[in-house]
This record gives sequence, C-alpha cells and structure tokens, in this order.
Amino acid sequence: MLESIIAGAIRAGTPVLFACLGEVIVERAGLVNLGTEGSMLVGALAGFAITAGTGSALLGVIAGALAGLLLSLVFGYLAIQRRANQLATGLAVLTLGNGITAFFGRSFVNQQIHGINPLHIPILSDIPFVGAAFFQQDIMAYLAGIMAVVLWLFLYRTRWGLVLRATGEREEVAYAGGYSPNRVRWAAVAFGGLMAGVGGAYLSVAYTLNWIEGMTAGRGVVAVALVIFASWSPLQAVFASYLFGGAQALQLSLQADGVDASPFLLSMVPYLLTLAVLLVVGRWRRNVMPEGLKAVFGSASARSVA
Amino acid sequence: MTRQITLAPIARRWAGAAGLIVMPVVLFGLFLALAGQNPLDAYIAMLSNTLGTTNGLGETAVRAAPLVLAALATIVPARAGLINVGGEGQLMIGALTTTAMAMVLRDALPIWLTLPILAIAGAFGGLLWAGIAGALRTRFNLNETICTLLLNYVAVLVVGFFVHGLLKDPASFNWPFSPPFADAARFPELPGSRVHLGILIAPIAAIVVWYMTSRTYLGLRLQVVGGNAEAARRAGINVARTQLIAMLIGGALAGLAGMVHVSGVEGRLLPTTGVGFGYTGFLAAWMVGQNPLLAIGSATVLSMIAVSGDSLQIAANLPASSVNVLTAMVLLGVLANFKKR
Amino acid sequence: MSMQQLSISRRSVLVGFAAMSLLAACAAPATPTKAPDAPAAAPASATTAPAVASAPGTGGTAIGFIFVGPKDDYGYNQAAYLGSKAVEDKFGKNLKILRAENVPENEEAERVMENMIQQGAKIIFATSYGHLDPAINVAKRHPDVVFVHQGGAKHTANVGAYFGTIWQPVYLSGIAAGKMSKTGKLGYIVAFPIPQTLLNINAFTLGAQSVNPNATTTVVFTANWCDPAKQTEAVKTLVAAGVDVVTQHQDCAKTIVEASERAGIMSVGYHADGSPLAPKGWLTGSQWNWGNLYSDIVQTIVDGKWVGSKYDAIYREGFKEGVVELSPFGASVTDDVKKLINDKKQTMLDGKFNPFTGPIKDQDGKVRIADGVQLDTVKLEAETTYLVQGVVGALPK
Repeated sequence: MLESIIAGAIRAGTPVLFACLGEVIVERAGLVNLGTEGSMLVGALAGFAITAGTGSALLGVIAGALAGLLLSLVFGYLAIQRRANQLATGLAVLTLGNGITAFFGRSFVNQQIHGINPLHIPILSDIPFVGAAFFQQDIMAYLAGIMAVVLWLFLYRTRWGLVLRATGEREEVAYAGGYSPNRVRWAAVAFGGLMAGVGGAYLSVAYTLNWIEGMTAGRGVVAVALVIFASWSPLQAVFASYLFGGAQALQLSLQADGVDASPFLLSMVPYLLTLAVLLVVGRWRRNVMPEGLKAVFGSASARSVA
Repeated sequence: MTRQITLAPIARRWAGAAGLIVMPVVLFGLFLALAGQNPLDAYIAMLSNTLGTTNGLGETAVRAAPLVLAALATIVPARAGLINVGGEGQLMIGALTTTAMAMVLRDALPIWLTLPILAIAGAFGGLLWAGIAGALRTRFNLNETICTLLLNYVAVLVVGFFVHGLLKDPASFNWPFSPPFADAARFPELPGSRVHLGILIAPIAAIVVWYMTSRTYLGLRLQVVGGNAEAARRAGINVARTQLIAMLIGGALAGLAGMVHVSGVEGRLLPTTGVGFGYTGFLAAWMVGQNPLLAIGSATVLSMIAVSGDSLQIAANLPASSVNVLTAMVLLGVLANFKKR
Repeated sequence: MSMQQLSISRRSVLVGFAAMSLLAACAAPATPTKAPDAPAAAPASATTAPAVASAPGTGGTAIGFIFVGPKDDYGYNQAAYLGSKAVEDKFGKNLKILRAENVPENEEAERVMENMIQQGAKIIFATSYGHLDPAINVAKRHPDVVFVHQGGAKHTANVGAYFGTIWQPVYLSGIAAGKMSKTGKLGYIVAFPIPQTLLNINAFTLGAQSVNPNATTTVVFTANWCDPAKQTEAVKTLVAAGVDVVTQHQDCAKTIVEASERAGIMSVGYHADGSPLAPKGWLTGSQWNWGNLYSDIVQTIVDGKWVGSKYDAIYREGFKEGVVELSPFGASVTDDVKKLINDKKQTMLDGKFNPFTGPIKDQDGKVRIADGVQLDTVKLEAETTYLVQGVVGALPK
C-alpha cells in the first residue's frame, strides 16, 4: 500500500510542483503571484485544446506553457511597471484566468485526447516496492524533479541565480552590478507563469486527459503557500509538493482499505506543517525569506523584525 | 481636500474614471463578439437583471452586503499596516460559529434576541480565527499575510470537517450540510424576495468603521502605527497591542459577514458557504484604497457583475463564469491606476 | 505609500461609480423587462393571478433547467441536458427553454432560479441533488411556479421530485462485472454517500455476488461530483488494491472510463454510453433516458393538471417506463453473459424479480431487509443508509 501512496503522492504532487518551482523563482525576485492559479488554468485549457487539435501532447504542453506565460505578463505589467498591490493583482489575474477558460473551454469538455502516458522503465519498474513508486511515472513527472535540481543549481551556482537573488534581497546590489532589477523581475514572472502553465497542462494532458471548467481546483494557490513551506528552496519544493500530493493519495488509499479517517484533517496537514515550520524553524532562519518579499507581505513586518 | 479646483483636472479625472469603466466594458464586448454574441444584447440582459428589476437590485444588494463587511475586514488591519488576506477564512469560521450557536438556540429565544446572539457568535468566530494570525504576528513575529493566507485553507477544511460530521443534518441522508436554521435565526426577508434585513448591517458597519478610523483615538493610534511603527513606539504606543486589536476587529467584521450570509440567504451551513467572498472583499478594499465608505460602492460593483453572470448564461447561453473576465478587467484597470509608491 | 496619490485615484474611482450608475440608469429603461407577464414582485403575482389559468405552473412563457455541471460531461448533466432538448423539441414553439449550467449547489442556485422566474418561467427543473433545498426555498416565494427536482426525497406544495430506479440496470451491470472480473475485486468511485449512491453500490455488489459469491466491491468517496484529478487518482488507487473492474457514481463519467482503459482494467459506465471511450475494457453500464418523462411532466403541468398528479409527489419510475436503460455491451462481454443479463432484465420487466428482496445484510451482518420482504421504492431509498455485505470501505461519518 505504501508504494501506491508514494506513487500517488508523486502523481498528485507533480502539477503543484511545476507551479511551486515557478513561484519559487518569482518570489526569489521579490514578488508574489497569486495569479499562479490562473496561469495553471489557462495552461490546462491551452494544453488540452492544442493536444486535441494537433494530436501532439508535446505541442500541447508547449502551448500550455506559453498560455501560462502570457497570463503572467498581465501580472508583471501591473506589479512591476505600475507597482500595483501584488496580492490584489494576483487575485485579479486569477479571476481573469478563470473567466477566460470558462469562456473558451466549454467546447473541449467532451473531447478525447491521447495524452502523455506513464513510462514503464524496464527492469527498474519491476523492483518490488520502489518500482511502482518511482519508475512508472510519466516523463513529465521526472522532468519536474529534474527541474527542481536544475533550478537549485541555477540559484546557487550561477551568476544569473545570484543576480536573481540579489534582486529579491536588495535591488540596489543588482543595480550596482549593472543589472536592471525590473528586467530580472520580468524574467522571473514570465518563468513563473510558464511553469504554472506546464503544471496546468500536466493536469489536463498527462494526469487526467480531460478538461473541465475550474479543474485546477485551487492547486495554484496551494503552490504559492507551499513555496513558503519550502523556504523558497527548489529542492524543498519537491518535498512540499509531494507531501501535498501524499495527503490526497493517502485519503483514497485509506478509504480503499476500509479505514475511516477524516479526509479533512488529513488535508490540513500541509498547512499546519507550514505554520509549524514557520514557527519553529523560521525563528532561527528568518533570513531565509527574501528581503524584497517583506514589502509585499506587509510593509510593517519588515520594520518590526528589528 | 478643497484645493483650488479648475475645470481641466476634473474633466481629466472624469475621463480617467470613465475610461476605467468603458475600457473593460468595450474589451469584454469584444470577447462576447468573439463568442458569436451580440454584445449589446448581452449587456442589456446583464443590466436588466441587475439594475433593471427590483429582483436584480435586491440580488445585487444581497451579495454586496457580506462583500462590504469582508472589505472592512481588510481595511481596519490595513490602517495599522497589516495585510489581512484572511477574510476568506475568518468569514467561513464566522459562518461556522454562527451555525453552531443557531443549533444550540434553535427557536428557544425570540428573534430579536437570537439574531444579536448569532451576530456576536459569528463575529467572535472570525475574531478568534484572526486572533491566531494576530498572535502569531505580534507574539512570534510571523508574517501576518502568510499566516492569514494559510489559515484560509485550514478554515475551509475545518468547515468541511464539521459539516460532514458533528453539524451534519441527521435528516439530510448523508448530504453534507447542517440542519436548517430555525425561523428565529433567520433575518426577516422582504416578502417575495431574497432581500433580508441583515444587509443593513453592511452600510452601518462601514459608517462605524469610517468613524472609528477617522474620528476616534483608536483610529488615530492605528494610523500612527500603520504610518510608522517606530515613531509610534517612541510616542509610547503599544504597537503589538494596537496591531492585534486591528486584526481582531478585522476578523470580527469578517465573521459578521459570515453570519449575515448564513443567517440571511443560506439558512444552513454548507461546505461552500461563503467561499470566495473573503477574497472578493479583499479586492473590493484595494479597489478603493482602503476607504471604508467607498468600499460600499466597490463591493456593489463587484456584486453586480457577478449577479449579471446569470443573465449571460441564461440569455446568451455563455458559461456564467465568463463574466469573471469583466470582473478581472475592472479590477486590473483600477489596480493599474493605483500608484503604490 | 503616498496618501496624496491614493486620494486622487480614489476620487476618480468614486467618479467611476457615478459614471457606471449613470450608464446603468440610461440603459435600464430601454430593457425589455416589462413583459406583460413579468410581475415586479412576487406577492403581486400570487394575488393577481392571471385570468388565463390559476393552476400552478401554467401561464408561463418559459421553462427553466438548472444543471450542476457542463452539458457535455459524458454523464449526469449530459443526460439531463438531452432531456431538456426533448422538451424543447416538443414545447419550444410556445415556451422558451432557459438553461443554466454549472449552477452551484448552494444559495446561488436560488438566485439563478429567481432570474428564470423573472424571465417568465413557471416550470423549473432542478436537476442536481443539492438543488433540492434551494428549489424548496424559491418555491415558497413563488406558489404559482412548479418546481420538479431530480432525485430528491422531499415534496412540498409546489415542489415535486422524480427519479428513476437506476439501481435496476446497475444490478445487471454488477452481474457483468462479477462474471468478467478475474480477481473478484470490483471498485466503485462515488461522490457522496447519499441514498441514491448507496443503493447503487449495494445493487452492483448484489448483482456481482449473484454470479460470484466471493466478489467484493471496494468503495472510495471523492466528496465532489466532478474532479478529474481526484477521479484519476481514485482509479489508480483501486488498481493498486487489485481491483480489475471499476464503476462510478460521479457526474462526469469520462475521466474514469478512460483512466480505467489506460490502466488495462475493465469499466462499467454510468449515466451515459461510454463504450466509445473504452473499446477494450467497456463492459456495459446504466444510463438515463429522460426525454419522455420530462415531456410528460411538462405536459401535465401546462395542462393545469399538476396538482394531485403522480408528479406532485415523490415519483419514481424504472425499466418498464424506459427512463433507465442498460448501456450497450462491450466487445469483451461473452454471449452467455449477455444472455444471463438479458434474461434477468426480463424478469425485472415482468415484475418477478427485485434485487432488494430480503434477506439483505449490511456490512456488519445485521439483517436490514427481512427474509422475503420487498420494500417499495421510496421506502427503500429512505432506509438505505448502509452498505451490504461484501462492500469494502466505510461510510464517512
């Protein structure tokens, strides 16, 4: 049973992981984009529509990525150029994504696609216990894991990663280094939208092979919360997302086993853990949070840290 | 406020404001045309069923009331420099505690006693939920935005837990909702419509909040703390306490919104009771720069657009949620014209 | 943040509201709201009943249908939508058909129904389980409008409830599942544990046990009528538990049928014919055919004969009337299984066989329907608060 829960955790966690990784980069640049949910939705619809139209799941995922990116530009314009309140803007962008997909999505509800199917890696997938959990996922799930490592390397081992972090911490530093903080922010927001779009496309093209209005069901907003749980680290984002996925998978597995456990209490675990982490770990690792974010999350809090 | 006024800036302002309305309307009209609909017909249908009929006006007001209160829940903490995105969760918990109290009281007391008790119960629930974030903020220096956001998720699940469990209607055949409220626990309705007395609470609360923030010592204290916490501290103001008070008032207002909604229109607690109202209220507050009186207007506009979605669906056969495009455009237009710094 | 700049924009927003109300005020008089039969307020409509007819539900210009999901969901809402199409074909000339999809099961449903009444609807079909209480509330305000609810077990002055005994074909599809399953483990993906769904789980299990006494049904609840991600995960969970035939009680049926096919297991459908979705694994399923029933209900109401009619009650019909059907068999179903099922179906049609004939024991072995007893449909629904022996999984408390 455990191996099926782990496999389920990875499956259910992967769409969130894509969005979460994107949002890690956004927040590292000092921005918070609640519109991630909207990017996921348009990504899911565009991914499904293009896959249905062309028969190519690859094109679908690319379309989903682009759609997510495009929607995030709306956020970028308001948050970066107009310096509008980011949380309100994010919610407005979420609303926009919701409306657009309701508008254009209806004719795709009953279409059938051949999406991305799980791999069956020879030999490895037959290993008892770990085989089903780790070696029978689809290629996108592996891609998400690889992206986490790549982004970690990018953040901590490359000059551009340094520039990104500098922008989120103290934009003067980036500025002094000859980089335009706003360009870095634009790049981060666009990347975040792109990843959320891929996450959405994963839901429709690889996971369920279906489109339905509002199918992301809050996963994009969850991703934003999980970034905090992950302490703005791409590697910890993997753990955070799979934990979220695990809570979902565990509910069903327990039911199938005839165990009467409250799905509501189970679902609370990731959020309560996040609060606990903030409370316990956050006290001595307060500096983990990018300085720039403190302005977004309330100007008063930045002051009171002193 | 009354500086020298020449005509040109006023005209410009009117033009700017008209642009904020006209642009989204035109853009959304293009959307409608794209879907093969006559935008004019669609707009006529949307307007006639919000502002054109008594029923539509009533529905707009019914939906606007909790939104106004949810907006106030953002506004009061904002005065003290806190961002409360937790109106969503505080509202749901307020609806939950209202329901719990309604189940205890049933129709044991007359309506004029029951409703105030429920209002207190709802406000207290919201206050408690906001208090968690407030305490984490002031005691442990955790970020209140993050805490309130996280607690929103927990609140939905807490409501789900009770609605599927302790508060489930025994006569519901396992359908997840609470038993219906007794008549004494329901706001009286205008005959033949869903307009109920509880919606009056919203404008009254807005006026009270306006008075409190602009005319009282507490309001001044909030203002000082929000403006410069360090200066406030030097002036001998207990910053943490002031911020906690602001959070608690915000939570109570959100909880009251939950009470108005559940006692006014829903009449029982559902897993989805009040979902989305808190976030919409948050947006309504930002639309008007945290002004309590103007929040009545912004909440009404957002409510009107949402209600008009029904007509879009019924008359133009478009998904009701597509009206979210119009909502978003109005919001984005307004937000883009707020310079934060 | 600068208060100065804020206050400027704030004022422009205020001006914006003024502009908007102005716009609205200009537009409002031009709207066609004052149709002769659109009463401004309900009390007026109750007292000044039009001279044409006084029977509830008559004299309207429209019929309203509300659905909880999209019309193309390969499932419950699609079936109901097709029913509304049949009504449109028959009555569309005189009565406008108003439809609203994705109507939530809360007070918003009341708002949508009120809107439809404003547009002249005197007959409203509330088609989802959770639309029942909103319909009852609206009905209190509009005694001249008739509401019919799909699946409910409540009945008030102007609200009737209708449904089909879908557990009849579900029992037969259980036979197919029991015969075709190799592991004897069947899976049921259910939205909510309400009487309709429990009846179906029980019927399915009893059907399977009638041909394979050791068959078990593992049940998972998704607490949502249509969440494709949860549905997919549920299929995978059941596969991991050794299940090789999956069926469902969800609104949108497509995801589960497809996911089962991809997982290489068999599926039994629900609500609509899903055989094209699963050429290999499709066995059969249960589906609705609402057209005739809807049309007859509408006819009864517009004739002014609703009060006291069979629809002015908790009304149920089944195989015999054709409201429920067995879906086409899949390619893998062998002829002897088909014959077995068709014979059983005939005994049901002849009224000789009721799958819920006692003794029926629940999961704990307690007898819930005594030996030889057959309950009438309404009572059976009301008393089915348990799962029968052989069902794995607990009812969420």
